[in-house]
Amino acid sequence: MKRYLSMFFMIIIVLILQTTIFPHIRLVGVMPNLFVVLTAASGFMYGRKFGMYTGFLCGFFIDYIYNDVIGISIAIFVIVGYINGIANKLYFEDDLSIPLASIALSDLLYGLLYYICQFMMRGRFHIWTYVLDIMVPEAIYTIIFGVFVYKFMHWLEEKLYPPKEELVHTGDKLIT
Amino acid sequence: MRKKTKITIDPKYILAVILVFCLILGIVSYRFEDKMSPIRTVVGSVITPMQKGINTVGKKIAGQRKYFTTLQTEIKKNEELKKQIDELSAENKLLQQDKYELQNFRKIYSLDEQYANLPKVAARVISSDPDNWSNVFVIDKGSKDGIKKNMNVMSGEGLVGIVVKVSKSYARVRSIIDDESNVYGTILDNSEGCIVSGNLELMRQGVISVSGIPGNAKIEDGAEVVTSQISDKFLPGIPIGYLRDLKKDSSNVTQNGYLSPIVDFTSLNMVLVITEVKASEELEEMLK
Repeated sequence: MKRYLSMFFMIIIVLILQTTIFPHIRLVGVMPNLFVVLTAASGFMYGRKFGMYTGFLCGFFIDYIYNDVIGISIAIFVIVGYINGIANKLYFEDDLSIPLASIALSDLLYGLLYYICQFMMRGRFHIWTYVLDIMVPEAIYTIIFGVFVYKFMHWLEEKLYPPKEELVHTGDKLIT
Repeated sequence: MRKKTKITIDPKYILAVILVFCLILGIVSYRFEDKMSPIRTVVGSVITPMQKGINTVGKKIAGQRKYFTTLQTEIKKNEELKKQIDELSAENKLLQQDKYELQNFRKIYSLDEQYANLPKVAARVISSDPDNWSNVFVIDKGSKDGIKKNMNVMSGEGLVGIVVKVSKSYARVRSIIDDESNVYGTILDNSEGCIVSGNLELMRQGVISVSGIPGNAKIEDGAEVVTSQISDKFLPGIPIGYLRDLKKDSSNVTQNGYLSPIVDFTSLNMVLVITEVKASEELEEMLK
């Protein structure tokens, strides 16, 4: 429950950052997408359900405030969360390379789905320009921020649910 | 939590349910746009005040970043510029004279006055869209300040966009460089019509696309485009930008090209909302 609540507040904070400060720190015209980081990381760390929960909230807020039709972003983010949830099997706490790769791939997937839903449907078929100009730079930029967000989520997880390893160890000692 | 025995549902089915839900929501929100606005207001009235505060921080950060990245180049430039100042101040005197002349011409030019006299409300840009795909922003004036859907938004220089959604305390504006935006414009020189459409691909080069100019029209680069009388949402005579690189398309019937907007969309802080919706009530009645 604490995890769900804390994620809710993190999404609100990210929403505010993403819409106010990030447009000012654009590089080559793109800004990082922290929503994807949150969705991918929560799917990756806690499984499909939690990934879908985060994805749903992210998509909901974006759609509600910035889009005409509600539902497209929700669907995209839920799919991203779900797919990352499948990768939950690969999750190890100390390893950074796999989660970052999954964040980057998620961002590309998000871009691709968004392109298909919003651009290809309107007859904009130059997919490579969109891939090279927007999706790839965005993915790279997102990874840089992804490291911090991912580390923060770990830290928060340890604070909320302190690991009970020590108890197990003392138990081991008692037995030996 | 985990100790309790719960009915567990396979996430696959949750995914399917959510996707169907999204589809329904999409259709509902598209079909019954007006009835959804109370909920939008709830979400918006919680988040927009926060955005308003933090956006000022963002602007400060942007300012700082500019300061560091440009300081060194600016020092070099400064020396060069000092030399130029002398030359330019001489030129300036000549131009001053031209300016008075221009002002007189503008007064004569009726198009300029068409929008100059319209009632306007200044609004602050409080947040922009959270992704790299669209060009939509939110202003801090809503229905309680008299903002309505389809009101035109401009900056001091020219057309910025149009209000697409209004809530109680905020409104969403789609700028003309957004990929979904289409504006019907007129070329000032010869009153030919054209369609100015936003384009994400071209936006990176700082231009948007223009199409539908009659093939036989002779237009020079740099011709000014303003909003047209014909447009059903945009008030006539608001400057949009300057044409360039016009080419005939394969059918030879129309010309296409690029338009560089007058407004600098990267640094929009304040905008003016024209609080007069183009009178299309009769049209709406006909459509009903």
